[in-house]
Amino acid sequence: MKLALPLRLIYLYRNLTRNPLRSGLTSAAVALPIMIYVLSMAVVDGFENFLDNSARQLRLAVTQRTSIINPLPEGHRRKIEALDPEKTRLISVCGLRYIGGQRENDPMPLSTLAVDHDTFIASFPEHQLTDEEVDAWLRNKQAIMVGRGTAREMGWKVGDRITIFPSVPPYKLIEFQIVSTLENAQDFVTNWCRRDYLEEELKKYGAPSGNVTFFFVKCASREDLDHFRGAIDAQFAGSLDETRTLDEKTFMNEFVTQQFNLPRNLTILAALTVFVAVMAATNTMSMNFRDRTNEVATLKSLGFGSAFAFSLIQTESLLLCAVGGLVGASVPFVLFTYTPIRNITIPLIQTLEIAPSTCIKAVGMALLIGIVAALWPAWLAVRMKVVSALRSLE
Amino acid sequence: MALPLTYHWRNLFVRKTTTVLTVLVITSVVSVFAYMLGFSESLQHSLSVARDPHKLIVLKSGATAESNSAIPVDEYNKLSQVTNVARDEATGQVLVSPEMMVQVSLPRLRDGGRTNANVAVRGVTLDAFRIHPNIRPLGRIFSTAEREVIVGLAAAQQFAGLQIGDTINLGYGADRAYKVVGHFSADGGPMESEIWGYLPSLMNSYNRTMYSSANLRLADGSDARQIIGQIEGPAIQLAAQTEEEYWESQSRLMKVYLFVAYLLVAIMSLAAVFAIANTMFSVVAGRSRELAMLRTIGFSSAQILLGLVIEAVMLALVGGMLGCVACWAWLQAVGNTKDMFGATTFTTMAFKIQMTPLLIAKALGLVVVVGVIGALVPALRAARMQVVTALREP
Repeated sequence: MKLALPLRLIYLYRNLTRNPLRSGLTSAAVALPIMIYVLSMAVVDGFENFLDNSARQLRLAVTQRTSIINPLPEGHRRKIEALDPEKTRLISVCGLRYIGGQRENDPMPLSTLAVDHDTFIASFPEHQLTDEEVDAWLRNKQAIMVGRGTAREMGWKVGDRITIFPSVPPYKLIEFQIVSTLENAQDFVTNWCRRDYLEEELKKYGAPSGNVTFFFVKCASREDLDHFRGAIDAQFAGSLDETRTLDEKTFMNEFVTQQFNLPRNLTILAALTVFVAVMAATNTMSMNFRDRTNEVATLKSLGFGSAFAFSLIQTESLLLCAVGGLVGASVPFVLFTYTPIRNITIPLIQTLEIAPSTCIKAVGMALLIGIVAALWPAWLAVRMKVVSALRSLE
Repeated sequence: MALPLTYHWRNLFVRKTTTVLTVLVITSVVSVFAYMLGFSESLQHSLSVARDPHKLIVLKSGATAESNSAIPVDEYNKLSQVTNVARDEATGQVLVSPEMMVQVSLPRLRDGGRTNANVAVRGVTLDAFRIHPNIRPLGRIFSTAEREVIVGLAAAQQFAGLQIGDTINLGYGADRAYKVVGHFSADGGPMESEIWGYLPSLMNSYNRTMYSSANLRLADGSDARQIIGQIEGPAIQLAAQTEEEYWESQSRLMKVYLFVAYLLVAIMSLAAVFAIANTMFSVVAGRSRELAMLRTIGFSSAQILLGLVIEAVMLALVGGMLGCVACWAWLQAVGNTKDMFGATTFTTMAFKIQMTPLLIAKALGLVVVVGVIGALVPALRAARMQVVTALREP
């Protein structure tokens, strides 16, 4: 015997509203873990995107072989460039020196790098600078491009003169003029200033100069990336300043996992919360089934098949979890897309962007939870001996 | 007369499926909570050791950590004029420990050497052992004539190649072999993750001419602020901070992660509250006649309320204990050694997550709260039940 679809839907609706408190609590118990799932996955995706973006840039990072804290001589740049004098495969080599720094009387640390100004533009095309910005950068030795997140936080704008106290030699206030707030850069935080200017300041105070923290080498293709990764290290093998060359993705990944393997820990957390949701939903479905054993038995005795009983319990569970999933996915989505919470900054990935695809995945996960949660009670309903179930009617 | 505890305990076994599923929800939540708490407490413990109120760390002003600070010898010498600090009894000179901080990349033992950690290498003179009284060499210390180092216990346990008799390659080009001749304890503080060697030897190996930091001890009864004022004043112009301030700023990043983690645990706990509430509502509904019966034979509604809360707490405690066991088993399986990256030191601090009785007590405290909150509304409903109506129910 079959039940017409409209009747079936009405029956389903009545079942869900029969114990509204229980349905509500179950949906909430599914919604909360889904919320954590969405947040965790958004962070993990953010890291992956960050790394993938690094990989797309076809850049190599060249550091001193034993440790990144050991500087490399700036003269390495010419020797790396000499590996491809035509610049067809090795587009540009940019030396970077870490400055860090902070504003005067402000403990908040800044992320500032001094870079070779002539190759910086070609090495970081993803910054998508305007002609005016490039012009100002090349013309003005004191030029600094600031991350737009940092600019917002510090109240900086283009044209401002700012002073930064570096965390490395010469340890003297250095004055800069902002030429861009990097509106299109992936990186919200980092400030970039000219290395030739830093060198002048270093010489002025007699601090050691002529060193870089690492080089970024922009390659033309993936093959070139692989080729030069080996070629650069081979070039300096046996010298006083041997190098260690990694592609940018590996280089960044080392940084991420050095600090705290957040992506892995969040994945474990997300898996655990899904487990919590499965248990909570299974609990409800088994309570529902127990309360309605005789009802299911009656239905079966009227001629509705086991398949009907099975689908009845499954759809009810699916609906409960779908509601939980929708709420759980939409709350963080709305919070991080339309409210001030979206301005919270997270190291490296900067802002948490909750992609619609993550939400869809989460709702899919909620539906899966619904199916898994109802498996056991639905199976019990299929196997139920009608006669004995009816006999136990109170 | 109160309801006997065995009555509540036995009731948990009446609806086995529901009990098991609810317990599993609690177990998952508590295992995550215990892990996070363990992580944070071990970190706090380690930092609490580095909280010597009589110790000052002097850095170059502007530097954020020992690893990016560079103090020229002539500026260091100015520290000899500081007053109200501990002095060498024999010579009457200011007792000050010049130190150099570099790092070496060593394989982590916990993942079989798949990843490397940046381990701090500190060059010290023999005065360092008087400035840092909690450093206790276990066995002999490095010789001032040979290339020898001693290794903190935490570092020796967590990173490869640091056993007594091993040789590690240090120096700018990682080409100077230093022999590990002893271990030392720092009462579990951050210095226990370091490698110590003789300052002149290490400075030579790393081509350094400047110190990274200088450490002083306050004289009895002197005021840290007053001495910091002297050091930062016009005569010396270096920056000083207490050990506590230094380590607080280094663990800043980790605190952000922990805050997020606790927020997620709070959301999970709320899901657990809903799961318990759901279960208890069903308990109340399923036993309304029984509860009404208890009322008619003289139990007060307060006793019924208390009884149901006790039942929920028992349920939660079982889950809580299993959660602690799960967390312990996880730590046994994947290892309880962890390390944290200083916010600006670029070196790691190793520590161990310990399941202490206090930690277990806190985790169980959380489940009791979750149990009580979850049971409160259903229990109130049961306590307010109309006895006559409930007795009439089928």
